[in-house]
Amino acid sequence: MRTPETPSEGPATRRSLLSRLCGWSMGGALVAAYGSAAAVAGRYLFPARPAGKRWIYVAQVASLQRGHALPWRTPSGERVSIARVGDGQSTDDFIALSSTCPHLGCQVRYESQHARFFCPCHNGVFSPEGKAVSGPPAEAGQDLVRYALRVDGPLLYIGLSERQIASAGQEA
Amino acid sequence: MSTLARWLGERVPLGRFDIKELTNEPVPEHLKRWWWCLGGTPAYLFIVQIATGILLAFYYEPSAARAYESVRFVTEEAAYGWFLRGIHKWGATLMIAAVILHQMRVYFTGGYRRPRELNWMVGMCLLVCTLTIGFTGYSLVYEQLSYWGATVGANIAASVPVVGPWMKTLLLGGEEYGAQTLPRFFMLHAAVLPALMICLLVVHIALIRLHGVTDLRFRGDESKPPKPFLFYPDHFYTELMIGLGLTVLLAALATILPATMGPKADPLSTPEVIKPEWFFYVAFRWLKLFSGTAAVLSIGFVLFVMFVWPFIDAAIRKYTRFAEASVWIGIAGALSIIGLTVWEAAVAH
Repeated sequence: MRTPETPSEGPATRRSLLSRLCGWSMGGALVAAYGSAAAVAGRYLFPARPAGKRWIYVAQVASLQRGHALPWRTPSGERVSIARVGDGQSTDDFIALSSTCPHLGCQVRYESQHARFFCPCHNGVFSPEGKAVSGPPAEAGQDLVRYALRVDGPLLYIGLSERQIASAGQEA
Repeated sequence: MSTLARWLGERVPLGRFDIKELTNEPVPEHLKRWWWCLGGTPAYLFIVQIATGILLAFYYEPSAARAYESVRFVTEEAAYGWFLRGIHKWGATLMIAAVILHQMRVYFTGGYRRPRELNWMVGMCLLVCTLTIGFTGYSLVYEQLSYWGATVGANIAASVPVVGPWMKTLLLGGEEYGAQTLPRFFMLHAAVLPALMICLLVVHIALIRLHGVTDLRFRGDESKPPKPFLFYPDHFYTELMIGLGLTVLLAALATILPATMGPKADPLSTPEVIKPEWFFYVAFRWLKLFSGTAAVLSIGFVLFVMFVWPFIDAAIRKYTRFAEASVWIGIAGALSIIGLTVWEAAVAH
């Protein structure tokens, strides 16, 4: 930090030494402060590790009939509709869809007589596969979020992220 | 080094002398008082907001389905995301406070008087932009406060005679809050308003440089000769120190009082108690005191009076004997704003 009063040349004096020390300290503090901020920004931008998936038991395969949906809640409280869409015993015979409308977050319900999911808030309609058919979600191209399922023998499992499991731990 | 300097100097013909000429503007002695650094403070905080805002935008998704989840991801999962969000939130609070204090300082020292009336008006535009960017900012989280704040804000806009309904539709991207609303708020918050503010800041600072800083004399100093000092390095270092102090303060606030998340927006249930951010308490209380259109029109009128105040003040000084009326009007205005804000903060409804 050189000010007009600071002697910049000639023999070193106590004043010039102190002035330089102050300048270096200030420069060092600046580099440390904004360098740390840059390091934080860099670490933040580096993508977080993708969360692993855990499988959680939902129901007996035999307990679900074709065309019917089972309302279910994830440990973190998200509502999911799990329906049987085929007569077989494979994973493809089941589907798990979020019950939360992607438009404004209202709860959708399954109407078996029309074979559709319906959102009462703004008349959003989704196909049994969760695809937006009409209403505001269809206009915005927002389908229902789909969860992974797995059939293991007579048991049906749903795939959830580690976060959803961790939330359950915190709530318990 | 000298080869590089020569190479660069040939391509960027800007010598040391030119840089000095640009930066070492003499500024009046009173700028050595810390109170006179309030103009640089919001500018510094604006830079912090741009930097943290860009970082937050890397993960933010402006849709009703994903907004809340993406903010939760930033807050709970992304490395240091909670810290950056906290700095952005507290940076906004401090920036609005600094803008208000800066404006009060300019007002009470008469810094807006001829020939600086236009710069006061540019400053008023910056104040309105700052408040709007604050409003659109907290609407992006898509928590209950965001949703109902935006809904109330749009309805307030709708109560303006003639253009109200048109303004509401333009703001929400439809007749009501829908899928088009959040992308709009995001564009306003992250692109339109910052770009506008940068343009206004350039004009604001250019006008300050062209006019120079008003030379203020305190009681007893009138007869002393002016003792200007150089902007660089003296005032620049003061601003730099304030910047470092603010950075430490922001980091402390973001750590001790981190940005939290309220319940997710629920269009079907209006919360029992809904309040905007503190800087809108005064308008919110005013809206409760008077009917919709009257309240909105009176707020518009107050803003208009503030906007053209330099000319009103000049007329008062010229045609009346109350030369210092602006001080008393300013004190009354500031006390009213503080009173309404405290009133709104103290009661639930």
